[in-house]
Amino acid sequence: MKKVLRRVLLLWVGLLLAVFGFSQTKPVTGRVTDDKGNPVPNASVLVKGSTQGTSTDENGNFTLEVPASATTLTVSSLNFTEQEVRITGSILSVTLMPKSGQMDEVVVVGYGTQKVTKISGAIATVKEKEIEKLRPVRAEDAIQGRASGVTVISPGTPGAKPTVLIRGIPSYTGTDPVVIVDGSIQTLDDLNSIPPADIESINVLKDAATTSIYGVKGGNGVILVTTKSGRRNQKTEFAYNGNYGIQEVFSKIGVLNATEYGAIVNEGSVASGGDLIFPDLSVLGKGTDWQDQIFKRAPIQSHALTARGGSEKLTYFLSGSFLNQDGIVGGGDKSFFRRINATSNITYNLSSKLKFTANTSFVNIRGSGVPENSINGVISNALNFDPTTPIFNTNPNVYGRYATSPNILSEIFNPLTQLADTYNKSNTNKLYGKLELTYSPIKNLNLTSRYGYTYTNVVGKNFFPLAFYGAGHINSTLNADGTPRPGAHNSVSEYKNTYYNYTWENFASYNWQLNDVHNFDAVVGMSVAKITGNGLDASRQDVPFNSWEFADISAATGQAVNNGLGAGSFQYERRNLSYFGRLNYDYDNKYLVSFTARRDGSYAFGPDNKFANFYAGSLGWVVSNEAFFNSNLINHLKIRGSYGVTGNENVSPQFQRISNVVYSYGLGQNAGYTFGENATSIGATIASFRNDALGWEKQVQQNYGFDIAILNNKLSLSADYYQKNISGLLFNPTLSLYLGTAALPTANIGTTRTNGIDLNLNYNETIGKNFKINTYVNFTTAKNEVTETNNGLIAGGNYGIPGQQVTRFEKGFTPGYFFGYKTNGLFQNQAEVDAHSAQPGAQPGDIRFMDMNKDGQINADDRTQIGDPFPDFTMGWGLNLEYKGFDFTTFVYASVGNDIYRAYERNLAMTNKFRGVLGRWTGEGSTNDARYPRYSFVDGNNNTRASDRYVEDGSFIKIKDLQLGYTINSNWMKRIKVNRIRVYAQIKNALTFTKYSGYDPEISGGIFDTGIDRGVYPQARTWSAGIDVKF
Amino acid sequence: MKNRLYIAVGLALMAATPSCSKFIDYSPREDYQITADDYFKTADDYQKMLVGVYSPLQWLWAVPVIGDVASDNSVSGGENATDVLGLQQMDDYTTIPVNSYLTEIWRTCYEGINRANYLEENKNKLEFAAKDQVYAQAYFLRAYYYFELVRFFGDVPLFTERRLGVGDSKSLGRTPKAEVYAQIETDLRTAIATLPTTVNEPGRATKYAAQALLGKVLLYQGSTNPAKFDEAATVLEEVINGPFSLLPNFGNIFLASGENGPESVFEIQYSNNNPFYDWSNPGRGQGNFAVQHHGVRNLTGGSPYAQGWSVNLPTQELANAFDTDDTRKNVTILDIEAYSAANPQFNITYLVAPYKNTGLYNHKYHPRKGETSGQIELNYLNNNRVIRFADVLLMAAEANNRKASPNTAKAQDYLNRVRQRAFGDNDHNITATGAALTEAIWNERRLELAMEGDRFFDLVRTGRAAQEITGFVTGKHEVFPIPQEEVDVSELPQNPGY
Repeated sequence: MKKVLRRVLLLWVGLLLAVFGFSQTKPVTGRVTDDKGNPVPNASVLVKGSTQGTSTDENGNFTLEVPASATTLTVSSLNFTEQEVRITGSILSVTLMPKSGQMDEVVVVGYGTQKVTKISGAIATVKEKEIEKLRPVRAEDAIQGRASGVTVISPGTPGAKPTVLIRGIPSYTGTDPVVIVDGSIQTLDDLNSIPPADIESINVLKDAATTSIYGVKGGNGVILVTTKSGRRNQKTEFAYNGNYGIQEVFSKIGVLNATEYGAIVNEGSVASGGDLIFPDLSVLGKGTDWQDQIFKRAPIQSHALTARGGSEKLTYFLSGSFLNQDGIVGGGDKSFFRRINATSNITYNLSSKLKFTANTSFVNIRGSGVPENSINGVISNALNFDPTTPIFNTNPNVYGRYATSPNILSEIFNPLTQLADTYNKSNTNKLYGKLELTYSPIKNLNLTSRYGYTYTNVVGKNFFPLAFYGAGHINSTLNADGTPRPGAHNSVSEYKNTYYNYTWENFASYNWQLNDVHNFDAVVGMSVAKITGNGLDASRQDVPFNSWEFADISAATGQAVNNGLGAGSFQYERRNLSYFGRLNYDYDNKYLVSFTARRDGSYAFGPDNKFANFYAGSLGWVVSNEAFFNSNLINHLKIRGSYGVTGNENVSPQFQRISNVVYSYGLGQNAGYTFGENATSIGATIASFRNDALGWEKQVQQNYGFDIAILNNKLSLSADYYQKNISGLLFNPTLSLYLGTAALPTANIGTTRTNGIDLNLNYNETIGKNFKINTYVNFTTAKNEVTETNNGLIAGGNYGIPGQQVTRFEKGFTPGYFFGYKTNGLFQNQAEVDAHSAQPGAQPGDIRFMDMNKDGQINADDRTQIGDPFPDFTMGWGLNLEYKGFDFTTFVYASVGNDIYRAYERNLAMTNKFRGVLGRWTGEGSTNDARYPRYSFVDGNNNTRASDRYVEDGSFIKIKDLQLGYTINSNWMKRIKVNRIRVYAQIKNALTFTKYSGYDPEISGGIFDTGIDRGVYPQARTWSAGIDVKF
Repeated sequence: MKNRLYIAVGLALMAATPSCSKFIDYSPREDYQITADDYFKTADDYQKMLVGVYSPLQWLWAVPVIGDVASDNSVSGGENATDVLGLQQMDDYTTIPVNSYLTEIWRTCYEGINRANYLEENKNKLEFAAKDQVYAQAYFLRAYYYFELVRFFGDVPLFTERRLGVGDSKSLGRTPKAEVYAQIETDLRTAIATLPTTVNEPGRATKYAAQALLGKVLLYQGSTNPAKFDEAATVLEEVINGPFSLLPNFGNIFLASGENGPESVFEIQYSNNNPFYDWSNPGRGQGNFAVQHHGVRNLTGGSPYAQGWSVNLPTQELANAFDTDDTRKNVTILDIEAYSAANPQFNITYLVAPYKNTGLYNHKYHPRKGETSGQIELNYLNNNRVIRFADVLLMAAEANNRKASPNTAKAQDYLNRVRQRAFGDNDHNITATGAALTEAIWNERRLELAMEGDRFFDLVRTGRAAQEITGFVTGKHEVFPIPQEEVDVSELPQNPGY
């Protein structure tokens, strides 16, 4: 490897030397206007076939030094058709024609750009304008519903990562698409660090023809983020965006008030042979609504200041931004996301042939979170905690600010005490960007070497104070008088993790033309990538004064052997070596052919499987460019098809690890034993299986589509049908239990098939002079099916205490489907119980579970599919209206057919209940709704087992964005040198239409956890106002 | 110049191919990971692997709980009907194949067997001084794990040559119980031939432990194969002639100070040593998770007892089975109300067991203050007294009385030694013979070993379960269901009736 580095280094020196030659130049000046004679600012003016050029100023004027040999300039601008102009002696006058639709746009693809018209693969694009308007906290929010073929399920937690599925669920090992920022590889997790003000466009590569150049990384699709860069010969343009808003929870879950709770608890106790627990219901009143206590109105604000411009040789984009989002659960003290960014994207033309680009971004993220989406999360506690408990503790002799419950003595906490005792913070510093050198020795040949990097440093801390949840509460570590219980300690833990990833890519691209009709565009290259991580963590007991202020290892005093002071570390590295190439050909812009090949090597696989090849090809036919095609209605028509292979390497190397620890947390594969009073003996055992046969997961994808534009390009439609077949699926199998408890290896198991349709419909219209309409609809379907599993099935989706599993990955079903009992009403009387298949413990009023296999018994074999957490289809509808200075934007997102499993109910005797219990079965004929069986403390029928009584339809329509803006345009602005001011008011998540009874039907997670509501952090409704200024 | 550059670029790319392949090679040592290739090079490696075979014993904490809950000795208790659900179902005789306790026992035993087999697999890699001792212990432990399996589940997959790998998944069927028993006997006899009579480290398998276990294994087969009683009598006699004695004070056996005492034949060792265990895998640590289950809920006051989860509550019927002057009653059963009344100085308060309350608690394994650390629920130090000398005496008494030519005198003698300790006199000696003596021995086993997890298995092996346990169905409940997951994945036939 070293040798290669040296060689390539030498090569670079050679390149540098080669370009310091002189060549003769001549000056060219001109003016660019539109068809109405208005100047076109910021138009790009390039010497044809080179990267040498400039852009026009505000009045459309430009001056450019061009080589003496140059004959033609290429002039282009957003929304205008590119035009070629011969260089003549006089001042050039260029008239650009408005672009017909979006057909001449250029999009970013892997290792290059491509004209939209020449693309025969499947790409979805979201532009700067949309992103700028939406002002998302994370970039993925901008593609939800706006990019067809992509399903985004957003979480409510500030800054948290959403579920992003590009064309369904291809793999079990993770669904995250690869994220490429300006050509350097990052992950979906990194998208929390890119401020929207920096983003020029987001392109989503969907089919094999476009993703296979990323080979083994491309299996889950590719998100290409392009950040803004400067413009040549342009005065600095400053822009400021500021936004301030208030967030709030948009719904509440119906739980019992204190009186209702008392009555139901009494009934449950009596029904199970106990006494009345609340003999006098009249004293209970409404009690405390804990949801009101934990949800806060929380501010969110963002500010961004950018500057872009450039000189003849240097272009720059600079930005600084700040975002602060407080959480609606617990407020900003306990839950927040704060981001500070600074970006400097600089391109310098070292010579006419050599260009150097340095994109550098620094981001600092601070955050704090609360326990959520689990049975002991804050929301779950708020829903299940005793409503008869007052908010505050009024007894001066008892420790604590908040009251305790005499009824709830384990596992469930007063949510306010829990919030107050939650202390954590993290601080992330990240530096990412790229260094790129492009050498153009001859016309149309670019040699590029690019080093993309991400350096991340995360420092964090957790403090676990001694806590008092009540005298009888098993988790109390303090006595009622505030003294610690014997053996109880508080503790503080700290961690410092560092991650460094780089991708070093060297590639050459060349395009040429033969006989004016044969157009070729080729790229070939290689890439070396490395991902590393390491961390140190430590913890110590006995923080002074049981206080967050002193929560630091340096202040803690714990001395207990081993336990008082703990430390750990980790390190890992992933390495890839790849070669790739692509050839695009078109005949006279009519017939499009593309072929891509990639050879990937991964450290993760055994010697026999180190390398794999991935190929893809696509064909396209631009029917509307044919001479015979002569339609006044249809302006553009293209038919496309692609076929290819991508892969997945989301797996660690497999080897037979030996554990020689007394206890391995999490895995339970300890090998210690304590003989008598001796110190514990450290043993050894095999802790993981090996799988020598491990190979690559391969995904074959076909894509068929067409693009059509009609009515003078006002209405355009892109439609794609795709099918993916994945074989050698990488995942942990369920193996025979008699293999023991060693960690199961990843194996190539099974196949899945996904197919679906992506549609994008866009309509632009200008009515009269001033009224502009743009509306679009995106439609995405993905039907997933597991077609084969060699080694059984996988169960997941643990919830509750005792834990139950509700999701499965199994042949013949959609991945991650809900698995459990089907209900069929309630037993109304003993005769019905007797008549039904044997169901142990059943009484009248209990749920009748269905005997699916008709064997006369209700048992585990009767469990079946009871739901699917993934939507049948999702839709996004956007509408932009402009009238004079006013603009109105709305965006509606719909998800249909996704089920939700309600798993936040704790179902203990003394926990609070959901309002549905008021309609419970109280006697024959009272109700036959399986969701509301009789209520008793003793649940002999196990009515709470995983069944469809907890499955709800989570389909929803959300008005995600509602925005009204006004752009001020008057003369006084010119005097203060302001180009543009826009003020606006915005409501995010304005309205949600759903039948789901919980807070928010969007529940993100992995394949096994999506759609399981364990008390998930809901998205907030945000009311905000802001201002955009350009000067 | 330019052409040369292109050539250089091309060459550089090509040159990258062979040397760069090393870039993606991987060695686990990069991540400081020890692999199987690094082991079995020194005697110490073998010793460490042997310790690893002992570990899963500790994970079998639920076995003694089930042994009583599934019998007429105790009820499941817990917080409510769905707390400790798997135990509730075993108590109520509604057990279904999805049962976390049974799954854990199944997996744990097979983990132990695989660990023992891994030693077997690597037997010929190195010769060293104490090698036969290492293997004798491994065989003892393998027998122990198979015995648990066979008495819980009946016919089970049997393999002894090597540790199973991924490719062995789904490859095994259920081996008839008799063959499993034969393998257990073989392993124990091999162990007996080599194991020492005394060990430096308490808890290590001894010759006597292996003999006592063999005696028990033979006794379990006696009902269907009476010849086994003769064998049992012979092998147990050797234990009786060993160094063991009955502790004069019955209660002291179950104190921390009574662990590994003169009456102890084999104990599963637990400790509250570091490192402590957390909730990520409760029950798989060095502490005895069963103990926390047995405690009185929300217990406060100055008594030596700590609070727990009111699980495995002795029945009144068990309490009534003791004679009033039997010293074992109060050692076995904690009547918390009576105790509280008798000890007002402790100011005891507690929560009445919220479900299936009997007012009685498992006193032998009740949590006691100061005997746990770290995550307090998980790290109780109480050893599981698997085989006590009293058990050996009663087994020997039974074997002697039930063998083809009974030795009544011996049977009576062994039985009465146990009773004399219990009552502190000879007035309660049994003089019955024949079937009545057998009944007396069985009854004595119940009283002597109550709340130690023996009752259910005793009732099953002696064919009395249906008459003593409500809900027990003959032909079904003699064994527990095989975990549903194993049935699903390995396609093993389920036990009848489940």
